[in-house]
Amino acid sequence: MGASESQLTFGWGALTVIALYLSSTIGVGWLARRSSRGHSLSDHYLAGRSLGFLALFLTLYSTQYSGNTLFGYTGISYRIGFSWTASILFMFSVITGYLLFAPRLVALSRKKKFITPGDYIAHRFGSPRLTLLSTLLMIYALANYTLAQLRAIGAAVEGLTNGAVPSAYGIITLAIIMVVYETLGGMRSVAWTDMIQGILLLSGFLMLLFMVPGLAGGLPAVVEHLSRIDPAKVEVPTLEGCMNWISYVFLFGFGAAIYPQAIQRLYASRSTRVLKRSLALMTIMPFTTALIAMICGVTGSVVLPDLALGETDQVLARICSLIMNQSTAGYWLVVLIFAAALAALMSTADSALLSISSMVTKDIYQVYFRPQSNEAELTSIGKWCSWIIVTLLVIVAIGTENTLIRLLELKFEVLIQIAPCFFLGLYWKRLRGETVLTGMVAGLLVGLGLTWLGYPRLWGFHAGVVGLLVNFGCCLVGVLRPTSQRQT
Amino acid sequence: MDSAENDAPGSDEPIREPRRHPWLWLVYLLLYAVAIPWYWPAGYRGPLILGLPLWVTVSLLAVLVLAAWTGWVISRYWKTVGEEDSHGGQ
Repeated sequence: MGASESQLTFGWGALTVIALYLSSTIGVGWLARRSSRGHSLSDHYLAGRSLGFLALFLTLYSTQYSGNTLFGYTGISYRIGFSWTASILFMFSVITGYLLFAPRLVALSRKKKFITPGDYIAHRFGSPRLTLLSTLLMIYALANYTLAQLRAIGAAVEGLTNGAVPSAYGIITLAIIMVVYETLGGMRSVAWTDMIQGILLLSGFLMLLFMVPGLAGGLPAVVEHLSRIDPAKVEVPTLEGCMNWISYVFLFGFGAAIYPQAIQRLYASRSTRVLKRSLALMTIMPFTTALIAMICGVTGSVVLPDLALGETDQVLARICSLIMNQSTAGYWLVVLIFAAALAALMSTADSALLSISSMVTKDIYQVYFRPQSNEAELTSIGKWCSWIIVTLLVIVAIGTENTLIRLLELKFEVLIQIAPCFFLGLYWKRLRGETVLTGMVAGLLVGLGLTWLGYPRLWGFHAGVVGLLVNFGCCLVGVLRPTSQRQT
Repeated sequence: MDSAENDAPGSDEPIREPRRHPWLWLVYLLLYAVAIPWYWPAGYRGPLILGLPLWVTVSLLAVLVLAAWTGWVISRYWKTVGEEDSHGGQ
């Protein structure tokens, strides 16, 4: 059932459409700049805490579902088949994670006017060391996340053009556009462009659902064919595989829910009511994204059975090449899907970038270098930070090799160790900063130590999740110790 | 952050939140246990339902129920002072 691939390039018409879409994001940035109300940090980084239902929902959606969902998830589905049904469950688990801490955090953030997650940690624990370590870990994780998005666009451009356009060109162009509109209007720009990008992304996914399984004669034919040539891809996962599902649920439920850009969206909502409605709708979004990515991946393993391991993250782009060459309608649909892919990448990367900029400015520059700085100065520094950070990330993205999904996992090993600050800190009054710091360091040592020792998973559990268990254990011991011992 | 701000509850203060109701999380545990396919025989595929292997369909249905459950939990068990006030005023 293999199909031949042929050289593919977008014509001038398609390139014009994509250029128009990309230009529109700059236009939105300009409009957002005109709508800004001064130069406060709250206005630049949280859109003045004014996001309504549609803007909040679409920015949550397009930020959570990224270039990795399109390319990384289709790639891993190509490799392991229906076992990647796990992705629908763990993407859902992010919302379960929110329910465990968001009600209290949102109330506190409004009362205390938090801008960054570090503001909450500093307020709750009063420990500069804990705040600094948490901030550095979040910046590391987000930089890694942005890097994954940049590499995804490189894979998309290279895959769609069968290598005719090197990934570096795509990475540099998109990064510049992103940082321009972000500098213009901050969170307002990012949220408004996320609205366009969210709609594009959703349309792109739905389009894929209707087009891709047909390439192999429909979904039942895909399953039957795989049952014959590679039965492991359609069979129920092993017990260790199921452990891995549980591990992913913890990894995303605790890790993705505390992404700084996600937490800042909780801060930026106009009201709790708006936030609740947005989160309720987010619960069904894995079906419109992760499920479709999985279907595309398994179809790809039938239609393009001979991809090398390193090429599997390009399976979606290769499938698009096939569709494009079938008909004029297919060609234009792929143009839309390509725009959706760019949207997925940009909407996630711009949010992460803005969040990094806010943490560098507010939690590091202001605290350690210019405590007397005013908000206008900080906002200006934040914009410069965005340019410097994106330049560094582009250099790294162009010069490194890795599969997308591994990049995705490694950042969670680190980020997830901050979870006790939110999941426990908001509810356990006796939990002290030093205890959380000890747990965090222990969790990091275990998570990263296991990874470096060549055990990225233990019985299916990610090293970061094992580290989190140790981390939670330290917090529990710290809280249960008698008061006299805790004070010594 | 303004340390002089008083600690009186704001309108976003939760007066009811999911975390305070353990039974809600028991239901979550049950639904997650159904969604994770640990209970099928090794190597099982099963008949195709909606074009997918049976075990995949069952897992997806469980996630769908989880989504519906979460929508209900959010609407019934995440209440703020402001929402209560606005209901009282209607």
